[in-house]
Amino acid sequence: MRLFFSGLRKLSRRPATWVTFGLLIGLVVLITVVVGVASNSGAGAGSGPNAGARIQAMKNFVTFPQAYDRMLDFMLRFGGLLALLYGASIAGSEWGWGTFKSAVARGESRIGYMLSSFASVGLVVAIGLLVGYVIAVVAAFVGANLAGVSTSGLSDSATLGQLPLSLLRVWISVLEEAALGFTIATLARSQLAGIGVGIAFYFGESFAGLLLPDYVQYMPFAAANAAANINVSSGALGNGTSAALPADQALVMVAVWLVGALVVTALFSNRAEIAG
Amino acid sequence: MSGTDGLALATHGLRKNYGSRRALDGLDLAVPTGVVYGFLGPNGAGKTTTMRVLTGLIRADEGTVEMLGRPFRRGDRRRLFEVGALIESPTFYPYLSARANLRELASSGAPVPAKRIEELLDLVGLCDRANDQVQGYSMGMRQRLGIAAALLSDPKLLLLDEPANGLDPAGIVAMRDTLKTLAGQGKTVVVSSHLLAEIQVMADVVGIIAAGKLVREGQLKDLLAAEGVVKVRVEPGQVDAAVQALAPLARAERLEETDREEGWLAVHVPGDRTGEVSRMLATAGIYVLGLESGADLEMLFLELTSGHSSGGSEGNFVGLGPTNGTTGKGTVA
Repeated sequence: MRLFFSGLRKLSRRPATWVTFGLLIGLVVLITVVVGVASNSGAGAGSGPNAGARIQAMKNFVTFPQAYDRMLDFMLRFGGLLALLYGASIAGSEWGWGTFKSAVARGESRIGYMLSSFASVGLVVAIGLLVGYVIAVVAAFVGANLAGVSTSGLSDSATLGQLPLSLLRVWISVLEEAALGFTIATLARSQLAGIGVGIAFYFGESFAGLLLPDYVQYMPFAAANAAANINVSSGALGNGTSAALPADQALVMVAVWLVGALVVTALFSNRAEIAG
Repeated sequence: MSGTDGLALATHGLRKNYGSRRALDGLDLAVPTGVVYGFLGPNGAGKTTTMRVLTGLIRADEGTVEMLGRPFRRGDRRRLFEVGALIESPTFYPYLSARANLRELASSGAPVPAKRIEELLDLVGLCDRANDQVQGYSMGMRQRLGIAAALLSDPKLLLLDEPANGLDPAGIVAMRDTLKTLAGQGKTVVVSSHLLAEIQVMADVVGIIAAGKLVREGQLKDLLAAEGVVKVRVEPGQVDAAVQALAPLARAERLEETDREEGWLAVHVPGDRTGEVSRMLATAGIYVLGLESGADLEMLFLELTSGHSSGGSEGNFVGLGPTNGTTGKGTVA
């Protein structure tokens, strides 16, 4: 447990943690406020026969109770990408800075160290998602007011009742993406390589989904998006697969990817020759 | 009684290859308990590879290690709880302070009392900057922190790879005193360094390796006594006559002209025979202009490792001869 708590202390002081969190909430606040203002003023909707529809779509974005799911979807997609990069950053720096080497030379278990580090990442991701989601909902509420739409749906009991389970599914999905970044950076032994390969993998899967949707639905990011079971149309950061697994089946796939990634991390860390 | 009784560290036939390159070629080390052990060798000789094997960072292809009286095998990671190490450059979280880095490092491996961190910060002189982020530290400060990190578990065996890197003269003296004090307390300190003069002052025992093999090991004073040298300076025009006069004293291959233009000769005999050298030259009517006795580690090191330098060694700089005039030139047949 002392490794786990040490990991939490390190992450709480690490600039990457706060930069990642800042990006997440900064973007969601920016989008919701801009949507609120634009839908009220009509700016950005253009003119012509579809202008009204565009304004209505913007208003829908911040209209409760659907806004709960939209914000959750944002956490899943943009948060998932950030979690991938964050996981890669944490694991890669352990190799790049040589701090993993120092722990091993002190007799620490290689597997224990890496998995404890990831467990710390998992908890930080959970906290980040939860706090980020609350801020996103507040931002959506502000956006709704700016847009001049009713916020009566804010207390929709059916939606609120589903939220804990939805948040849990989103956390598991995002955790899987963080685990992939963590594993990629472990294999690459580098932050930069881990982040670069992680981004390539993320968007590569997205593009592959256009060509091979039946196969890509089993891939980690598509499965993560499906497992979260959020009922909104695909967003700008969507992975774009036309085929998607049923949510529960996708959740199983997510678990497989998550465990598989951690097993690879553990095996590689345990056998790696640590030089340099 | 085993052959390794009284040894803090012993390796037997260690071999390690990196691809087609052989880094260790049957290395046998015997490090007695409670000494400062100078671990020397040219660049690429296998010092850091050995350190990595000893700290479980890499695995030897062949051979065995005994650490603190017991075998150290794959999976024996807890044996490292009694070992402190500084391998290559010190490694830390750059965004954390020195104090926080030590605290987090103490979360791995052997448990460390909280007060130990303050003691070590004081020992290495970093108390005033202990709350500053390590990314703002100079190389010497990082090195001090690295030494503190190596001492974190109050180890019985300390493995230090180039610990004097970046330290200022006062830091080097303080480190030397600390390491000698630790050895005096019964701990064993293995120091790999290129600062041969520093090792000569600090070490009780030295092991010199070249091309992954041990080429000499023993008590430093014994090695230096066996490799004793008397340097004598005569008139340049009398060098040949001096060589002839001294020939009976030293074996022919142990008498060298180190600088004919200046008239320097080196006679490889124990230092206590200095008077004999002077008397023989006087008997031959040769006036001695200068006389120095003793041996130094640098001379011994260069003699034992010449021809063993691997790529990247300082000894292989193109266009530069050996740095010490006593080797590689003017050997009198």
